[in-house]
Amino acid sequence: MCAEPSVLDNIETTHSLQVLQTTTESDSVVSLELGTSDGRPMPEWQPGAHIDVMLANGLVRQYSLCGNYADRSRWRIAVLRDPSSRGGSQFIHASVRTGQRIQVAGPRNHFPLIAAERYLFIAGGIGITPILPMLQKASETGTPWTLVYGGRSRSSMAFLDNIRRYDSGNVFLIPQDECGHIDLERFLSRLRPQTAVYCCGPGPLIDAVETVCQTFPPAALHRERFSPRQRTEVADDGSFEVMLAKSGRVIQVAAGESLLSALEDAGYKVTNSCRAGICGTCLLNVLGGTPDHQDDLLSDDQRESGTMILPCVSRCKSSQLILDL
Amino acid sequence: MLDVKKVRGGNGLDPIGAEVDEILASAEEAARVATKSFFDSFQTDPNPAALATWLETRVWREIDYVYLLNDQIRRYGMRLQRKHITLLAKQSFQEAEHYEDLGRVLENLGGTVPTAVPAQAQEWSDWLWDCMGRHHLAGIAAWYVSETSASGSFEPTFEGCGRHGYTDVVKCYKQIEIDEKFHTGLGRQILSTYTQTDEDRAEILRAMRGMQKIAWKTFTPENVAASMAARATPAAAAN
Repeated sequence: MCAEPSVLDNIETTHSLQVLQTTTESDSVVSLELGTSDGRPMPEWQPGAHIDVMLANGLVRQYSLCGNYADRSRWRIAVLRDPSSRGGSQFIHASVRTGQRIQVAGPRNHFPLIAAERYLFIAGGIGITPILPMLQKASETGTPWTLVYGGRSRSSMAFLDNIRRYDSGNVFLIPQDECGHIDLERFLSRLRPQTAVYCCGPGPLIDAVETVCQTFPPAALHRERFSPRQRTEVADDGSFEVMLAKSGRVIQVAAGESLLSALEDAGYKVTNSCRAGICGTCLLNVLGGTPDHQDDLLSDDQRESGTMILPCVSRCKSSQLILDL
Repeated sequence: MLDVKKVRGGNGLDPIGAEVDEILASAEEAARVATKSFFDSFQTDPNPAALATWLETRVWREIDYVYLLNDQIRRYGMRLQRKHITLLAKQSFQEAEHYEDLGRVLENLGGTVPTAVPAQAQEWSDWLWDCMGRHHLAGIAAWYVSETSASGSFEPTFEGCGRHGYTDVVKCYKQIEIDEKFHTGLGRQILSTYTQTDEDRAEILRAMRGMQKIAWKTFTPENVAASMAARATPAAAAN
């Protein structure tokens, strides 16, 4: 998922955890409970946090923590079996079983729950995962909240039993096959002042929420995407988007701006010297997208592999570049 | 790690490429051996004054590179593409930073930052400037070998200084190690791009072979001992 940047944390803490339990949460979602094999307490986390899961097939995927944040004995993540999966969700559904060990890094939080007078939570599909601990937190602090949760069908919507526990007339379940799309105008147009809006879900939902919220104060809307905003074509002006696989952050690289500068402006320290494509000290690994090599150092084979880039001068031929960063 | 000897550019060095690479490898190895020898000696007598003396000639190299690069631009810059003028100037700026940073380290060790060529660096400096005066690419060829030879000194320096807790020296050379990739890559690219004639290649090989014989010398414990002895002699005479 692509996280709204608010906390920059480059310090990686890796844990080897055991899968304590797997649970089918809907017709396409399975949850994993993870813990230490010796019962040591897990690191603390707060609602909105996610972890990087390093899969045995070499992929790294980000998943929101969706269990009880006060329970230091286990973490819970939930994974949607996505037909368009690039290997992460398919692998977990097919291969991860109770008792197995998996490597994770984090937790980190780019989607923290800020203090507010009230909350409106909008979740689409598996986007319910970071919202669940937020419901817990808001309930515990006595902050009024409303949840609008949409999904393809009731059977596809995970954690309905958990959510019902909090329901006091403030939960709106919108299965699309019964109710159609979420009527965003209904929930957003009459929002009370000092309400923080938290939205997580597929890109079209977040795009629609952003459109409705255009006139809201800038700090009112908080959103987290499963995947970066989809751009179908490379922009005419040469700008492009970079996704950082380890954090899920998405950075825009403007026309005329170097990729290296954009990374530095976002708080990432990348070793470099010449900034001219000669020294090779800024070399980064590419996980996706098509680099547009402008350097003077990579060999033809290295260029054609598409697995590396010198960000001081090189750019991107595709709409998005995914870096192992 | 990428190999900056394979930087893209022209093919002017192709006829002598094998010999150029052999000279570079030899210079790098000689500096590695000499540096290791110095730190082996330093291990038996870890006198900070010896380390300061060892650094002195290296500090001088940094500022001499600044002079050389600026003179290269002044004298021959209009033969170069604008981007190479910019990159030489950038290298010059980084060498000045190294002079400042290494100078601070040297002072912390009780040494004095040289403001004129130290006697032990005289041969090295003379060769560099002799090459610069002879041919528009020879000065670059000489510093290319000198900078490459310094690459051989990094690992023994990190190990030797780390062992004795001279973390500021290690930190300084870690940055220099990064920048040297740029400097040596640029040297190779300029030589490959602008070398055209057999005369050019002959001057380049002359400069490189000459520097190959000199570059490693200031890294040795014998060189440091000679410098310290030379410094001590006038004082002893005065007493």
